[in-house]
Amino acid sequence: MSLVELDDLDRRILDLLGEDARLSNRSIARRLGLVEGTIRARIKRLQQRRLLRFTAITDNRQHGRPTLAFIGIRNDTGRTRELAATIAEIDEVRSVIITLGRFNLLAVGLFPTLESLIELANNRILVLPGVTQVETSVVVKSIKYNERMAKIGFSVDTGAPVDADADAELDSDDDEDEDQSED
Amino acid sequence: MVADGAVYQFDDVDRAIVALLKDNGRITNRDIARKLNITRATVGTRIARMTSTGALRVVAATDFAAYGYDVLLAIGVEVHGRPAEDVARELALLPEVFAVHLVTGARELEILVAAHDFGELSNGVIDGIAGIPGIRSIDVGIAADIVKYQFDVGISR
Repeated sequence: MSLVELDDLDRRILDLLGEDARLSNRSIARRLGLVEGTIRARIKRLQQRRLLRFTAITDNRQHGRPTLAFIGIRNDTGRTRELAATIAEIDEVRSVIITLGRFNLLAVGLFPTLESLIELANNRILVLPGVTQVETSVVVKSIKYNERMAKIGFSVDTGAPVDADADAELDSDDDEDEDQSED
Repeated sequence: MVADGAVYQFDDVDRAIVALLKDNGRITNRDIARKLNITRATVGTRIARMTSTGALRVVAATDFAAYGYDVLLAIGVEVHGRPAEDVARELALLPEVFAVHLVTGARELEILVAAHDFGELSNGVIDGIAGIPGIRSIDVGIAADIVKYQFDVGISR
């Protein structure tokens, strides 16, 4: 089904990085009984294929505890992609998913206040040409969120931010033979 | 993780380190120190403090495709006759359910589900969800395309 094929070594590297993303290439190599260059090459390949991305996640308390909300949008079907691109440009909107079934579009966003969510829904989304209905639901409590699973590669260029710094990351990794967090 | 009252707040140095880590989670302490003109020891101490307080997590995020998840669902769950949080915790135990949120609105829960293919959905995933006591109905949205996906702001737990 999937075009992506990872072998056992890729998976073992991803498992170790899942436990500690700053584990050095040298430590990974030692644990797997391989040489460091192999690990570096594998990680680089995973990054280039947009299957792996190293980033830092900050707790939302560092951002003034914004409200997480789901915004379900119904629209004239022919305008879905154009609307998705427009809504993706809104800063507070963290993700935009084109859906089949319950909505045409599902946007997930972080909002400083409830008022700002309602303002966005009513005055900036509902008014867009083709939008027929906007439904908001506010997250009261998050029970589970696995941010290790994400969308990194984008198949269609929609103008959304597409990990433009991945190559820069690779470059900066390139000349590193030193451990990430070890001294 | 610390209690809410004792949330550690980043200062300017922390924020500068975080910005570099968001850009590249595997940048070395040495490179961070060099770019910010601070000592390597300071970088190490700051990162340790931010991570130990739960304010920062450096993650290796993998694309859904890396594990062969080709099908993503955004499901609204209607709960009846049982506390929604109990249902939520039971849903959270399912490995294919990677997000569970208690929400306001017509339905009590919003969950995100990943599956390898549609066969897997009909052969157990949906049954596994629908079989949890207290779930009256589910409203399924199939992700046809993900246009934007930012995940660098985490959720307090």
